[in-house]
Amino acid sequence: MDGNLPAEDWKIGVDIGGTFMDFCALEVRSGRIVSLKVLTTPEDPGAELGAGLDLLAERETLDPALISRFVHGTTVGINTIIQRKGAQLALFTNAGFEDVIELARLRMPDMYSLFCHRPEPLVPRDRIFGLPARMRVDGQRRDPPPEAVADAVAQARAAGAEGIVIALLHAWRDPGQEIAIRAQIEAIAPNLFVFTSAEVWPVIREYERSSTALLNGYVHPRVSGYLEALEARLALRNVPARAMLTKSNGGVMTASEGRRDCVSMLLSGTASGVTGAAWLARQAGESRILTLDIGGTSADFALIIDGEVQFGSDELVGEFPLHIPSVSVSSIGIGGGSIASVDAQGVLRVGPESAGSTPGPACYSRGGTRATVTDAMAVCGWLGHSEMAYGQLRMDVELARAAVQELADQLGRSAEETAQAILDIAVSEMFVEVEKLSSRAGVDLREFALMPFGGGGPMLGAFLARELGMPRVIASRRPGVVSALGGLVADLKGDFIRTVFAPLEAARLPDLQAQFQALSREGRDWLAAQGHNGAIDLRLSADMRYSGQSYEIEVAIAPDHLSDLPGFAQAFHETHARIYDFSDPDGQIEIVNLRLSAVGAGQKPELSEIAEVSTAALRHVPVYIGEWQEIALYDRASLPPGAQFAGPCIVSQEDTTFAIPAGAVAQVDDKLNIHLSLGE
Amino acid sequence: MFDKMTLQVLANHARAAAENMAHTLHRTAHSAFVKETQDFTLQLLDHGGDTFAVPTELGATWYPGLTYGRAIDMIDDYRPGDVGFTNDPYSGFVATHAPDTHLWKPVFAGDDIVAWTGGHIHNTDMGGAVPASLSRSLTEIHQEGVRFPPMKLVNEGQFDQQILRIMSTNVRKPDLNMGDIKALVGALGTGERKVHAMIERFGKAGFLQGVAALKEQAEAQARAILRDIPDGDYVFADYADEDSDEANPVRLKLTLKIRDDAAVLDFTGSDPQLASSLNVPSGGDPRHTILLVGVYYVLYTLNPQILLNTGLTQPFTCITPEGSVLNPVSPAAVGMRSLTCARLRSVIFGAFAQALPERMPAAPAGNNCILNVMTRDERTQRTVIAAVNPVVGGGGGMPHRDGTNGSGADAAYLKNTPIEITETEVPVEFVKYGLAQDTGGAGRWRGGLATELAVKVFAPDSRITARNRDRSIFRPWGTQGGKAAGLADMVVNPGTSRERRMGSKDTAILQPGDVLQLRSAGGGGRGDPRAREPWRVALDVQRGYVSAEAALRDYGVALVDGQVDAAQTDALRAAMPAPSGAFFDYGPERELYERRWTDAAYDRLTEILATLPVHWRFFTKTEIFRRIEGSGATAVDAAFDATCESFPDLPRALVYRDAAE
Repeated sequence: MDGNLPAEDWKIGVDIGGTFMDFCALEVRSGRIVSLKVLTTPEDPGAELGAGLDLLAERETLDPALISRFVHGTTVGINTIIQRKGAQLALFTNAGFEDVIELARLRMPDMYSLFCHRPEPLVPRDRIFGLPARMRVDGQRRDPPPEAVADAVAQARAAGAEGIVIALLHAWRDPGQEIAIRAQIEAIAPNLFVFTSAEVWPVIREYERSSTALLNGYVHPRVSGYLEALEARLALRNVPARAMLTKSNGGVMTASEGRRDCVSMLLSGTASGVTGAAWLARQAGESRILTLDIGGTSADFALIIDGEVQFGSDELVGEFPLHIPSVSVSSIGIGGGSIASVDAQGVLRVGPESAGSTPGPACYSRGGTRATVTDAMAVCGWLGHSEMAYGQLRMDVELARAAVQELADQLGRSAEETAQAILDIAVSEMFVEVEKLSSRAGVDLREFALMPFGGGGPMLGAFLARELGMPRVIASRRPGVVSALGGLVADLKGDFIRTVFAPLEAARLPDLQAQFQALSREGRDWLAAQGHNGAIDLRLSADMRYSGQSYEIEVAIAPDHLSDLPGFAQAFHETHARIYDFSDPDGQIEIVNLRLSAVGAGQKPELSEIAEVSTAALRHVPVYIGEWQEIALYDRASLPPGAQFAGPCIVSQEDTTFAIPAGAVAQVDDKLNIHLSLGE
Repeated sequence: MFDKMTLQVLANHARAAAENMAHTLHRTAHSAFVKETQDFTLQLLDHGGDTFAVPTELGATWYPGLTYGRAIDMIDDYRPGDVGFTNDPYSGFVATHAPDTHLWKPVFAGDDIVAWTGGHIHNTDMGGAVPASLSRSLTEIHQEGVRFPPMKLVNEGQFDQQILRIMSTNVRKPDLNMGDIKALVGALGTGERKVHAMIERFGKAGFLQGVAALKEQAEAQARAILRDIPDGDYVFADYADEDSDEANPVRLKLTLKIRDDAAVLDFTGSDPQLASSLNVPSGGDPRHTILLVGVYYVLYTLNPQILLNTGLTQPFTCITPEGSVLNPVSPAAVGMRSLTCARLRSVIFGAFAQALPERMPAAPAGNNCILNVMTRDERTQRTVIAAVNPVVGGGGGMPHRDGTNGSGADAAYLKNTPIEITETEVPVEFVKYGLAQDTGGAGRWRGGLATELAVKVFAPDSRITARNRDRSIFRPWGTQGGKAAGLADMVVNPGTSRERRMGSKDTAILQPGDVLQLRSAGGGGRGDPRAREPWRVALDVQRGYVSAEAALRDYGVALVDGQVDAAQTDALRAAMPAPSGAFFDYGPERELYERRWTDAAYDRLTEILATLPVHWRFFTKTEIFRRIEGSGATAVDAAFDATCESFPDLPRALVYRDAAE
């Protein structure tokens, strides 16, 4: 699709976070990558884009008319949910089952508290309408009389609904009942938007399917409006590339697709960070990676196993489960802005309160007065020696010291001892989350390297790796903009599912083949609609379980398994044994879902960073590591391939600061990644 | 002395180890009990066997204060790689009913045992009189399955094949038991490795001091909470609907004595041990974890930062007279103790509600009922036994918000199964699954609504069991002017000519086309309903949580076209009688019952029974209930006299007269 552009075209990835919009641009001809951060403009989402493009034009002579690929990751969807600013929805469901959304799966996270409660549903009970409709498990249908639908539509409108989500029992088996009702609604009320649960994600399990469809409807008007404005902004600057969006599944899609398939982009920022990290890891020759992305309020972790990003379908969006395939990311509410406090027994704690990006850590001089993790880093001397975030943040170490001193006084300790303890505790909180992640996945982290990114990842990454017994840390050249880079390297990717719920037996194979054909058609059509005309990769998998088990596992399936029953079964037994440490070769197997991912691979950039090594004077700065000592402060831009140095030391660069503990040995590779060996 | 400033680092490492064990077990176990119901716990134990860390994400909530010391001491000569185990509720008082199998593994540092890893799984079946080993009707422990007193299950890494063979021979689903037990052994090994890593990280001495400091921290946190509670004696009693097939109520009574930073929980006045499986085997341990589960909820609610470990139990001393329902002697059956435990928690909540009126919620629904069905699948011609869903009710009204609907408070660990999955696997059809209108107790903050579930069956003689059903006679109470909640109920074919009301029964047999409707209780209300903002009442009506009639009757809110009629509402509210001023509202059923069975009468009953030999107590209770006329303590004395006349062998003469003098 970019065949007619001149050779000196640019590809741009743009990702938006809480404080900054990140840009990562690749000049295709030279392989040169440039990056940039601009402050967000929450009052006018999308306006940052113009500022960033202007800066790129000014500094890098980037001509917007030469942009051949534009990939955007946006938080507009997830913010709509967190801030509860979405559409006024109505939900049409079966009479007798109006409370499925409120009851959810019953179990609540804070289960030792008598005050535990579920989040307020996205659609209140008085806009949920039970229709006299029911599909039985064998597909027999009782459809609602037209008057019942008309009546519900009238009530929904009277209650102020802007759109309607239809979610009926067993729609996974046959979407016909939902489609018929949608047609009736559209005839009566063409101004209301309508989504059916089966069109959003046709999977068995009514709560999960309904909830996913509601999330889609809830963010739809805002997301759609945002994307429309985005396309207009790009057109205004004569950007020829079709706007693409990063998706929760680590792939990309067109912005026009995203206007209706809104759920697919809810977790796009975290997912594209992992995509970017996986690509960087492959460049650095690593296949087993734990990623660590620390922002102001949270730390995100993901595993990359054998070079592959891991997927799950139970990620949380705000307080709600999202049941489409998403890059599996664990999150904990500890970040650079997490606030430290002393409890009544004199025990120091970090979080869960956070200073966020406003007011932020005390040292940011933006009104924060309580000691945060970032302040502790500053007090210990790891931060504050150079400009941060491309010169957009200035650090006042004295403010950090004053904030930490308050806690130190309560504890009867020195400020630096207290700051060191804050860092130790913050790291131990992350340690808990990573230990849970690795035990769920059944992996041994000693075989993994840690790749920190985000503004805060490199600050604490090496300390966390040491706590986890991980031997190696890899810091890419631009850890601050990995999510934006992820958009540059991601493929077009669409996911499709059919619930079949059948025993795995020879008689079922023809039907499974037919389902696979149908999924493949959907996948190809989807890629075509995204404008893809290159190679197509169709990845088939099946959610399977032993009969009687209560949940299923995803098994990668080769197309010829659909005519090879023993091979099909064997693939399941092997996967089961890998995940659960046992298999039951005589057990009866059930297939719950067939899945297909349609991937349209794009051209991948070649990294050539070497041109940019500069020289800068080596400095020494005082850092508190049990005692004050003078340690080396390196400028990242001056570290050439092959450079070797030992911790403790600091590597500072425009988008982050890499803290390297004592005992670590660092080496720079030919792609300018820093490889850290932590030894034993 | 461990540096307190950084105690949180050690606490986090301990929690990570515990979560790691839980995930390992959850990932590798076989049975739905472990994987879906999550009826399991894991603990890190100090060298004496006291829990110092538990997982908080997975598993059940009961055992942060469990101590394994007694059971550990019943085995000699531990070596690395050994695993001890027991499921006997009467040996060491670690296991609390036979399906719960507890395992523990020593962690060595050099030649010393510096810690243990422990945990339990609920086995699907341990043999005995009935499938799943649980029935309220069982009367002695020997009917409840095969029991293993503490012994080594694994010797230096090798399973004792003889024990496995005995177990496999005696249980109905040996594969599930073996799979889960091996998964638990694996999880204990994971914990052992993690503890070794902690010892490496903190040093042996640092680890030992740190573990002690974690317990001290939890104790200090609990004592800090108690110190904020006014000293005093807070008395509360609550009832389970039925004590056995005899169907008399069970009373649990608590006198909570708060003195500075310590508390005594005196359960004197509670029922004698029962001739059913509702007994709670505490062994008389004054700090047995099963007696203190309600306390953990209270402490965590007041301070969500507390460490969950045995330290929390230290400020508390429980008094449970031997031979009572909370301290039965062998061979009393204990299988269904979870029903009694739910009531035990509500008794504790009731006592703390008086001690801390501004900070405690009203009663949660308190019936953690699980609906099971056995029916025939006409498609496959096979008999299907399946759990349909938990049917639990809402939380009590809180000091700052309404009770959580449909679940919450001490039932929040339960999970449901999707309707679409159940209908696909089990030949039943759901008719309804949702919240029941007007079931939350009225109040300034309304109680959470009850859950209602209705299913249709298609095969003859389909058997339904609703395990742990309760609260169909005695309502969850409201506090401070708030009203008691709606009752639980079970009806077959509601609203038809074939309607059968099932009262407080927990089983039913259904025929093709029959619909069983099961409703939980709701949560109690908190505060004067007249103080609830009319707009909230209007919103409740709009949402269907409350009917317009109940808005008028219970809240004095008049609605016209869904909008509050302010003038009429003011008038209605002015005319409503003020709440009685009583702290609790129990609802009419309990008030009626207590006209006869006054507090003094029941105290008298339990006093009399306490003087009798244990095996006479339940018999005598039943006979007194049969004979009592009138009310109060004198009526109880008269009924007892009449009982003694009928049964001359009753050893009254000796014991009771002596006690009376």
